[in-house]
Amino acid sequence: MNSGSTKRKTIDTMLKLALAVFVFTIPVWLSSPTYLQILIMLFLFAYLTTTWNLVGGFAGVLPLGHSAYVGIGAYTSTVLFISLGVSPWIGMWAGALIAAVVGVFIGIPTLKLRGAYFALSTMAFGEGIRVLVENTMQLGPFTINGPRGISVPLLPGNNLLAYQFTSKVPYYYIILLMLCVVIFITWWFSRTRPGYYLAAGGEEPEAAQALGVNVARYKVLAMGISCFLTALGGTFLAQLTLYFYPKQILGLDFSFELAFIALIGGRGTIAGPVVGALLLRPVSELTRIYLSSTLPGLHLVIFGLVLILVMLFQPRGLVEPLERAYNWFLDRISGERKEVKS
Amino acid sequence: MALLEVRNVSKHFGGLKAVDEVTLSIEKGQIYGLIGPNGAGKSTLFNCVAGTYAPTMGAIIYDGRDVTGWKPWDICKLRIGRTFQIVKPFQSRTVLYNATVGAFIRTSNRSEAEDRAMEVLRKFHLGDKAGVLAKNLTIADRKRLEMARAMATDPEMLLMDECMAGLRPNEVDETLDVLREIRNQGVTIFMIEHIMRAIMSVSDKITVIQFGRKIMDGNPEEVANDERVIKAYLGESYGAGGDGNVAA
Amino acid sequence: MEFYIQILINGLMTGSYYGLAAMGLTLIFGVIKVINFAHGSMLMVGMFTAYWIVKLTGWHPYAALILVVPMLFIFGYALQGIVIKPILVSQRDVREPTEVIIVTTGVWYILDNLALMVFGAEYRVVPTSLSGQIMLVGDYIIQTPLLYGFITTMVTAGLLMWFLKYTKMGMSIRAASLDRDAASLMGINQYRVYNIAFGIGAAIAGIVGCVLIPFYYVFPTVGVVFDVKCFIIVVLGGLGSIPGALIGGLIVGLIESVFPMFMTSTWTELIVYVVFLAVLFVMPAGLFGEKRDW
Repeated sequence: MNSGSTKRKTIDTMLKLALAVFVFTIPVWLSSPTYLQILIMLFLFAYLTTTWNLVGGFAGVLPLGHSAYVGIGAYTSTVLFISLGVSPWIGMWAGALIAAVVGVFIGIPTLKLRGAYFALSTMAFGEGIRVLVENTMQLGPFTINGPRGISVPLLPGNNLLAYQFTSKVPYYYIILLMLCVVIFITWWFSRTRPGYYLAAGGEEPEAAQALGVNVARYKVLAMGISCFLTALGGTFLAQLTLYFYPKQILGLDFSFELAFIALIGGRGTIAGPVVGALLLRPVSELTRIYLSSTLPGLHLVIFGLVLILVMLFQPRGLVEPLERAYNWFLDRISGERKEVKS
Repeated sequence: MALLEVRNVSKHFGGLKAVDEVTLSIEKGQIYGLIGPNGAGKSTLFNCVAGTYAPTMGAIIYDGRDVTGWKPWDICKLRIGRTFQIVKPFQSRTVLYNATVGAFIRTSNRSEAEDRAMEVLRKFHLGDKAGVLAKNLTIADRKRLEMARAMATDPEMLLMDECMAGLRPNEVDETLDVLREIRNQGVTIFMIEHIMRAIMSVSDKITVIQFGRKIMDGNPEEVANDERVIKAYLGESYGAGGDGNVAA
Repeated sequence: MEFYIQILINGLMTGSYYGLAAMGLTLIFGVIKVINFAHGSMLMVGMFTAYWIVKLTGWHPYAALILVVPMLFIFGYALQGIVIKPILVSQRDVREPTEVIIVTTGVWYILDNLALMVFGAEYRVVPTSLSGQIMLVGDYIIQTPLLYGFITTMVTAGLLMWFLKYTKMGMSIRAASLDRDAASLMGINQYRVYNIAFGIGAAIAGIVGCVLIPFYYVFPTVGVVFDVKCFIIVVLGGLGSIPGALIGGLIVGLIESVFPMFMTSTWTELIVYVVFLAVLFVMPAGLFGEKRDW
């Protein structure tokens, strides 16, 4: 669709390249740990929302209990580390596997339910898992510690094997890399047969079935992949903050935030979750940092307002208008008059 | 041997007998029509064949195999394609994407699927609209897309549910030509249709259903002249001896 | 033995106001077919409205109903009209647009946090003539405010069912819940019907507020506690069924009072979720689901 002149294409590529270089070199000049942390969390949320998107965007359903998989990742890798000394780099794959199995197990019955009921059931499972964890102090040799959560033992200095670093910079690059990989996976997946089938089944299940698609099976597949990748993000979060507890990491608020970032950015698109995170996370963090003492909860009010406004005026998300704006901008600086295609 | 055999199929919804012991058989290479007044159970019967419903009783035999109660996606893998009365394009996607989903049943390679999809689209005169979003198509184009998409699955038999509803007369004629072309390529067609002149002119054989039961079957001429069929459509008053007044 | 009966009584008393809280939601969910995540917030608004009216006027909470109910009705009506209706209009062909879920969540966030900013997080109580009163029926203790609540619930349920069955608006609501488009083809202005249904749902939230004031703390996030419970009750009882909401509420109330005898209250929470999921998978229509008449 974008058959512009070579000049336009060159400018487009150069802009994107510049952006990439910029993003990858931020830590070189940005030294404030606070701002680096904000960026890290931004990338983490973009990551988690992108993995959420595999189910919530492409499969066309609304999962509102995905924090459970973040938690499973965090708890598994941490608990293995504390009790058995297994490096979180290895533990995270165990967490991912468990999350995938749990996700598939939950997905098989729930993905058959109608939209609203599916959403409610994911919430119920999510809350159920949270309550389970909050009520468990010990699981065999593993200390779960119930509602008080777990602290990851702090090791001195930088310890690559233990996935701990003193400065924020390594974390920055790790999550940035993870984000790039997951975006690539999503992009690649959308161009494969399962990707087409999943999107078709999410949009028009009956038609897809008549074209040979076992819709339920692909939804479950997407669920498994999504939960697997989400859990990897959970381990990252655990290693970043070194402390987590059920209400936070397995909480409904967290699940909702993931869903809404994707929805505001543009569910079912590849750039959507990133755009959503880019727009909403800074608002969230900055209001929390600067205003939470005077006006607690303001960032949620803003969040709520944005949600409503976007759903009323741009229900498919902000990626579409932003893309149009970008194309218009590109036309202007490459000096061309182009018809806007929808 | 018949390609598709519907043997004494019934579909009950609670106390309602939507389809009541219908038997018909379709030969390879035929264009077979299914007609009947509104609410007669045609779509329900279709859905039983296509796998959307499982028949309450009876059997569906395809190419000698009992496929009663098979799921729609497995039916498709048997090379039975299906279009819907109310078209269901993947609206947010392009025409090419839509057709590619169909083509993927024969290959898992994306560029192969796309090539095949383009081939089919061109045959349906949608080639130049490959990049258009499905939601931006006219109704006639959407119907064509619906057919093209089903044809992209390379079916041996095509189930078409009122594919000409809402089309203008010239579009109906075009569609009839398309149907004949599809049949000439070796695809058997089983179609429901309300537009009488269309189905009469293109079908080799027709089954007439009313209240879920088969009233008769035969070639178009036999059907058009059958007393029972006339009564079923036009009411008692149109049978021999009636005054010909019709309420619809 | 008496111990168990006391537990049962407690459960039924509690369950009754759960059921009342869920009634509004089942009406909205059943009629407009949308998940209203702002339901808990509406309850919170109902409670705060009742709280302030009682605090400022010194009236008996049940007298305050005269003001609270119309105020909340208007609030619900306006909310639906401003925020939800546009989506229903633009997503006309979708039976259950997910955008509404998101919008109501936005409303939830806004309401709860505005309340937090304006009123602060502290738990409030307003003294009423009812608070802390108990009655003795034989050997059993019944808390008076809860008994009032129980009666109110029954009366409200009765009124609602009468309204839906015998008044014109009530029948319009039922028609619209069965088939939006068919109803509008028969001259029912579906959007007005939704506005009214939402208004009624909100008004009920107001009633709940008045009922709860004598014995429940008022704080900005009180809605969250009820929200999840209400959804569970609504699914359990069957979407759109008033008797279902009632019975569902009683069941949840009973579970909450009976199970803590055998396990900690946090495990009880889990039981409620398990029951919920069991109902979803085994009986998605709930106890009195869509197949039944209201």
